[in-house]
Amino acid sequence: MFRRIVKNFGPEWGAAVMGTAALCITMQLSSEVARPFSALLYVGLGFYLLTTVMFIAFLIPWTLRFFMYPEEVRKDLSHPIKGNFFPTMPISFILAGTGTNKLGPMLFGPEFSYHLSVIFFFLGVIGIFTFGYLLVRIHFLNREMRLNDANFSWFIPPVSHLIIPVLGTCLLDVYWAGTALASVLFVISMVALGVGFFNFLFVGSMVWRRYVCGTIPQGNLAPTIMIGIAPTAIMVVFLIKFIEAIEASHGTLFGINFAAVFPFIKISAAILWGFSFWWFFLVIILVTHYIKIKEHPLGFSWWAYTFPLEAFIVSTGLLAKCVAPYFFRGALIGLNTLAVAIWVVVVFATIKWLESGAFFKQQH
Amino acid sequence: MKIRSVTIALTIVLIPFILGGVLFNARLHSTAAEKGSFISDTRYENKGINHKEISIDWSFCPDWQYKPLFFPAKEYFVFVFHYKNDSEYDIELVPSYTFISPRHRRYPANEEISMYIEDDVEDELGITDETSMSYKISPGATKHYIVTFEKPENLNHFYIDVDIFRDDTLRLYYEKKGGTWVNANNELIDKYRGRG
Repeated sequence: MFRRIVKNFGPEWGAAVMGTAALCITMQLSSEVARPFSALLYVGLGFYLLTTVMFIAFLIPWTLRFFMYPEEVRKDLSHPIKGNFFPTMPISFILAGTGTNKLGPMLFGPEFSYHLSVIFFFLGVIGIFTFGYLLVRIHFLNREMRLNDANFSWFIPPVSHLIIPVLGTCLLDVYWAGTALASVLFVISMVALGVGFFNFLFVGSMVWRRYVCGTIPQGNLAPTIMIGIAPTAIMVVFLIKFIEAIEASHGTLFGINFAAVFPFIKISAAILWGFSFWWFFLVIILVTHYIKIKEHPLGFSWWAYTFPLEAFIVSTGLLAKCVAPYFFRGALIGLNTLAVAIWVVVVFATIKWLESGAFFKQQH
Repeated sequence: MKIRSVTIALTIVLIPFILGGVLFNARLHSTAAEKGSFISDTRYENKGINHKEISIDWSFCPDWQYKPLFFPAKEYFVFVFHYKNDSEYDIELVPSYTFISPRHRRYPANEEISMYIEDDVEDELGITDETSMSYKISPGATKHYIVTFEKPENLNHFYIDVDIFRDDTLRLYYEKKGGTWVNANNELIDKYRGRG
């Protein structure tokens, strides 16, 4: 039985870890809004512990599959949809690191948590860059790829790079500020930001072209539209955490005086948030279309609804710290409630999907 | 869905909330032993500073204990800053704080610990924390900001920089005299603005 599980354990399972992990951050941010919400910090801690269990439970078969069934892995890597889900596990490392950075001190104290977060950071970076290169190579050399293969799951590799600087700047914020490691974290974060940003633009235009000039994907890919909300939302998270990291370094980071550009950074963050906000309604419009034409089947792909929305919520919560706090705090609480409701539905849907035996009937 | 599947799904969904409830309860019952006491408050000692129509006061606790769930308790320096707008106009504050120990080792404030202890500090001082990156203060209003620093060992003096003004930094000096932390001196120093 275990061998069958390992054989069928696709790369997409990292998405479930991501969708659960980000809730611990949205809860933590919501707990800061007002005193009545303080207990949400502990619900966030509950999500953090659940994420840890899921992460370990999924990482074992995910890793074993590379050694026990390399052929299956190779097939998945070449798949125009499945292949893009490989970076979800390294992203989970980065999210585990971010959760450990924010909530770990409640369990282990600051020192241990900040060291553990750095380990997660480097493991995540290695995985993300490895799969990033691997997937680009496969895409460039694949002669079978057609216009109608482009889909929003292609955003996952750029998103994986964009999320590196989020943890990078979280680490620069407190413990590692002013240490020798700070410059390493800064350089890796900036490189990843550049890779993620430009790949997002290139891939985004390809997928856009498919949606306009080709046919829109089948209903089982409908949830992947939500992934489009993530890149700009994650850039907002990065920018606000970057401001905090700069403040921790007294306005000057590696000889560059950033204090003067704070207002520009805040305006840029608000503009990027606006794009994600717009995309949120685009998702509603397109998913409504799929539901209307009765093409929205139950599947594991529903996890695509969770993490991108949660990234948007984190961006909302962080923006509330420096721009229009009352508006964004209200939005944060409303969206966080929505994210929990969606997560609950997706957990039930996943169990139903497993019950149907679809896990063992997956096709490449 | 089969009953077994519903049970599994329900269990997964409830885990974070049940765990959260248990941990929240555990924290509620353990905080009494974790608190520290604020040994000074410039609001009552008339030692605050008024600069550019902003009154700045601060309360100081040198030994606030916070105990992580799986690790022993540690002590932290906790400052609570009270900013009052004495002008006739709204002001927007973007404060940041740095702890400097001997040999000029600089430590930024730890916002995570501030977040965890926020409710207890608020109860202790009877204030509402407004911790945020920036906030507006209306004329005559006061806002409060909790700042926590990790406490290096064998320390007998330190200072903290409060960056709140465009051109000056407020520097607060502390020394240990007879086993007690004393606010030895305060000064406003010019900021080096660099070349960009």
